[in-house]
Amino acid sequence: MTKLQPARAETTEAYLAKAGPELAALCTACGACFTACPMVDHVGLRAADGKSVTDGLRRLAMGEAAPAETIRWVGACAKSGLCVAACPEKEAGLDAMLLVRIAKGRALNATHQLPAKQDPTMFPRIKIFARLQLSDEELAKWM
Amino acid sequence: MDVEANRITFWFGCNMLRHAEMIRLSIMLLERAGYDVSAAGGPAYCCGTAHDHQPRGASNMAARTVARFNEAADKDGRGTVVTWCPSCHMHMADIMSPGNAAAFEVAHITELLAERADRLAPLLQVAVKRRVLLHRHLGFATHVAVNDRVADLLSRIPGLQLVQGPAHPGHMCSALAAVPGALAKAARETWAAAAADGCDTVCTIFHSCHRELSALDGRDTVRVRNWVQLVAEAMGISASDAYLGWRTGGAPDIAAIERADESRYHTLVEPELRKPAPL
Repeated sequence: MTKLQPARAETTEAYLAKAGPELAALCTACGACFTACPMVDHVGLRAADGKSVTDGLRRLAMGEAAPAETIRWVGACAKSGLCVAACPEKEAGLDAMLLVRIAKGRALNATHQLPAKQDPTMFPRIKIFARLQLSDEELAKWM
Repeated sequence: MDVEANRITFWFGCNMLRHAEMIRLSIMLLERAGYDVSAAGGPAYCCGTAHDHQPRGASNMAARTVARFNEAADKDGRGTVVTWCPSCHMHMADIMSPGNAAAFEVAHITELLAERADRLAPLLQVAVKRRVLLHRHLGFATHVAVNDRVADLLSRIPGLQLVQGPAHPGHMCSALAAVPGALAKAARETWAAAAADGCDTVCTIFHSCHRELSALDGRDTVRVRNWVQLVAEAMGISASDAYLGWRTGGAPDIAAIERADESRYHTLVEPELRKPAPL
């Protein structure tokens, strides 16, 4: 059972706007999350300076532009979650995976350093799959 | 209405709608474990996680979905939302609930079933003579020990030999599909491990892994099955798999295509079914 947090804002958009700078303030840019991340190898960044990359992570979460290596790293986040336990500031309340997630959002929507990957066919395609397989009763009850 | 522990909402997410049999089997397993199940999913219950590039829209989707589950808790006594999809689960825990007051708790289906495994165990009477490699990912362990929960359930199936597969990056295969080469590497390592351990079956945990690996069913005589299908098989329930059949060369019934909208089937669905396998 996952205990849900009490609401800290009126909307998720407002929460993320608040959480980014809060998490960034806890981050010391030590590079531990970067070192623990298995996706670093997939995007050819193992030789990069983790402190520099995570300094960019911190800045990105606050809405500032980040170096290209930071962008490449957050863009490849696959939610492996190893960063969470590796973070020495975890006990202070730093959720490293959430920080990366927020930073990725900023790179998409604030600094525009990541291209938006829009798929307008996602919902229509899912609805076709549903109608291929579900009975009328299931469609009415479940969706 | 008072919230009752056994009354749950099974929130199966969006993309699991490709796998209708897996939704039905999940509901059946939860019911046999003693839960009163109401199922919900699809775009009307979207968590918003796939819409990070549209923060306002994603926020509105999250608010709508939390409101629906709050209503189910308030009016129907369903105080537990049971997830299937790890993206939905993490998004609810980390982003949706801090931005929307939630009047319910969240649990993953494997947690509930593993908790009542003693109740399910007597129903697992049919030997499933397979040597099964469990296809695992590293992610989601931050929230739920899903690999252990599924292994626990599978270990109760008579005749089934379970082998732990390599733990791949990401929380499920769809997360790897966006990074060039990452999904192919995971698929390659999975098949190599299955061959090295003499496995005849690869068992997926999540829908997106099943979706990506379905096209490999039968390669090197290794079959692809999801864990709910294996549990059902042990109950003597025949578990068909339409999506897997379509990905390996089959096609939906023409009447089903006409009912779904033939032109949209050809433009939206058929290209996915005919895309190359990840290996």
